[in-house]
Amino acid sequence: MTTVTDTRRTLRPRDGLLIWVRQNLFRSRLDALLTLALGAIGLYLMFRLLRFVFINARWEIIQVNLKLLLVGRWPVVHLLRIAVSVIALAFWGGIFVGLIRARQVRRGSALDLIGWHRIGDLGRRFGLLIATVLLLLALATSAGPWLVAVGLFAAALLGRVVGSRLGSVPLPTALVRLSTLALVITPFVLFLYLVNAVPFAEWEGFLFNLAAAGAGIILCFPLGVLLALGRRSKLPLLRSLSVAYIEFVRGAPLYVLLLMANVSLEFFVPPWIAPSKPLRAVVTFTLFTAAYVAEIVRGGLQSVPYGQEEAAKALGLSPYRQMTRIVLPQALRNVIPAQIGQFISLFKDTTLAGLALGILDLLVAGQAITQQDSYRGQGLIIESLLFVAFLFWVGSFTMSRESQRLERKLGVGVR
Amino acid sequence: MSESLESVFADATQAVGDAIIELEGVDKYFGSFQALKGIDMKVGRQEVVVVIGPSGGGKSTLIRCINRLEKHDRGRVVVDGIELSDDVRNIQEVRRETGMVFQSFNLFPHLSVIDNVTLAPRLVRRMPKNEADDLGMQMLDRVKIPEQARKYPGQLSGGQQQRVAIARALAMQPKVMLFDEPTSALDPEMIKEVLEVMVELAQGGMTMIVVSHEMGFARAVADRVVFMADGQIVEVGTPEHFFTNPREDRTKLFLSQIL
Repeated sequence: MTTVTDTRRTLRPRDGLLIWVRQNLFRSRLDALLTLALGAIGLYLMFRLLRFVFINARWEIIQVNLKLLLVGRWPVVHLLRIAVSVIALAFWGGIFVGLIRARQVRRGSALDLIGWHRIGDLGRRFGLLIATVLLLLALATSAGPWLVAVGLFAAALLGRVVGSRLGSVPLPTALVRLSTLALVITPFVLFLYLVNAVPFAEWEGFLFNLAAAGAGIILCFPLGVLLALGRRSKLPLLRSLSVAYIEFVRGAPLYVLLLMANVSLEFFVPPWIAPSKPLRAVVTFTLFTAAYVAEIVRGGLQSVPYGQEEAAKALGLSPYRQMTRIVLPQALRNVIPAQIGQFISLFKDTTLAGLALGILDLLVAGQAITQQDSYRGQGLIIESLLFVAFLFWVGSFTMSRESQRLERKLGVGVR
Repeated sequence: MSESLESVFADATQAVGDAIIELEGVDKYFGSFQALKGIDMKVGRQEVVVVIGPSGGGKSTLIRCINRLEKHDRGRVVVDGIELSDDVRNIQEVRRETGMVFQSFNLFPHLSVIDNVTLAPRLVRRMPKNEADDLGMQMLDRVKIPEQARKYPGQLSGGQQQRVAIARALAMQPKVMLFDEPTSALDPEMIKEVLEVMVELAQGGMTMIVVSHEMGFARAVADRVVFMADGQIVEVGTPEHFFTNPREDRTKLFLSQIL
């Protein structure tokens, strides 16, 4: 317990470890007792966990079923398409990173880290992803994944170089437009390339979760922005429709909506038009998340001072331009953290679709493999769930940290 | 000054020569509060009018009615021959011809200085980018901060920001410039740099309506000073008239408070 006369300075480890420990962990008798008790419990739990993960766990269930977990029953002959897509996406992402970097250099806001600092920064940023890839490789039983991994890293690096080159040399407007278009349509082209081999209705495993989240994020965002604008519209009909939609969707549990998409749709639509289950899931995710995005964007719109709109008006900008050039860019930038938070929820919520719609997604597959003849009744659900949770955690954590980076880069909160 | 000019200056409804802005019987209400009460006023081409008066007296509302940031409830507002009405095309036309500078600058924080200046010429006048950039640099030269072109508004001082705001308005090559208390949000040492730019602008022949209490500025370049209180024009005259023998008691009281 602290006394009133304490100088309330927060000590940091570099002040001397012993002092820090004494000040923070053993300040009084009660402190010492709590530290020892909680420390013991913590160490014991840590010991149990580590012992399980590294000694007792039977990871062969994951190893044997790795393909089933990641891509479900995707035909082996078409696995190459997934490999190509993953590598292309890595290249695509690399280009984005490079473009952002070039933009920073142009503005003189680039952070130049050298030597160990740069490696440390890269490590903090990509270490987890690299570790995850290595973990998956360790579980892999053939050479294919290794080739994909090598291609992935090479493509990402190449993209990074190409991106910063593209962004730093002045290009003719036509070429800029063309490459922007290419960047925007790449995910769609890849999607078509995959769908061409295996229809979306048959996408399973982690691939389903990733694709559903990706599609949901891309689709819900414009819809959410439109709903937010509708809610602020001067037209009463448009405004009340937007409010009604937003409030209805936000009042319903996602799981219920997914179940309705599964069961009720067939009452209204003849079975041969009714969309496939994964498609229904994506539509439900989109409609659901759009309502939340709308509220987030509304907050962003309110955060832009009215003077901005007035200045745009005074310059003679049309109402459309006032919104798209002045208000929306600032509004959206102000809500990036909340926005990404919503996208992370969506990513994790894709596991609800597995059960609600009967799709063999990562979670359902993870449960299903424990029922295989060679593993049934052996309590391997823990291994399976840990693996599932780990993959989702890696995805969510990466998104969250990248959003913080983006926030800093765009200077959110700096006016 | 001749006798006839003296009478012109003492009447808000007269302008020196050809009028570019005409207000006739303009009323403006905010709910039940009447902000403007039958304002009659004309401003001639190349004339500089400084509007002074106590806060809440309707000064800002007056100039905001001229580019339709506020909609007037009665009377006529005519800018360069275009009467403001609900017709959106007329409003856009008038806004293209009038530049406005705000008390709180209202620069666009997400755009660089040069982009702030060139945005309207490019979008509204459909000027090609390189042409707009040239024009923008000329305007930044005019307000004496060409070296800040690539920075962002947040990186500039208040005085610099306000000068960028002036350059942004000038880039549309307006016929009239409206200033709404342009130096009220600035530290004393920054007021000077902004006023210098405004003086040069006035001397260059720009038509200006300036809501401001900078008496030095009024004395240097104003053709007329308009004193407003309670939504009405109380007294009009040359700066000389205001400093030496204001007529109305209301004016005397106000001047004694600010001078």
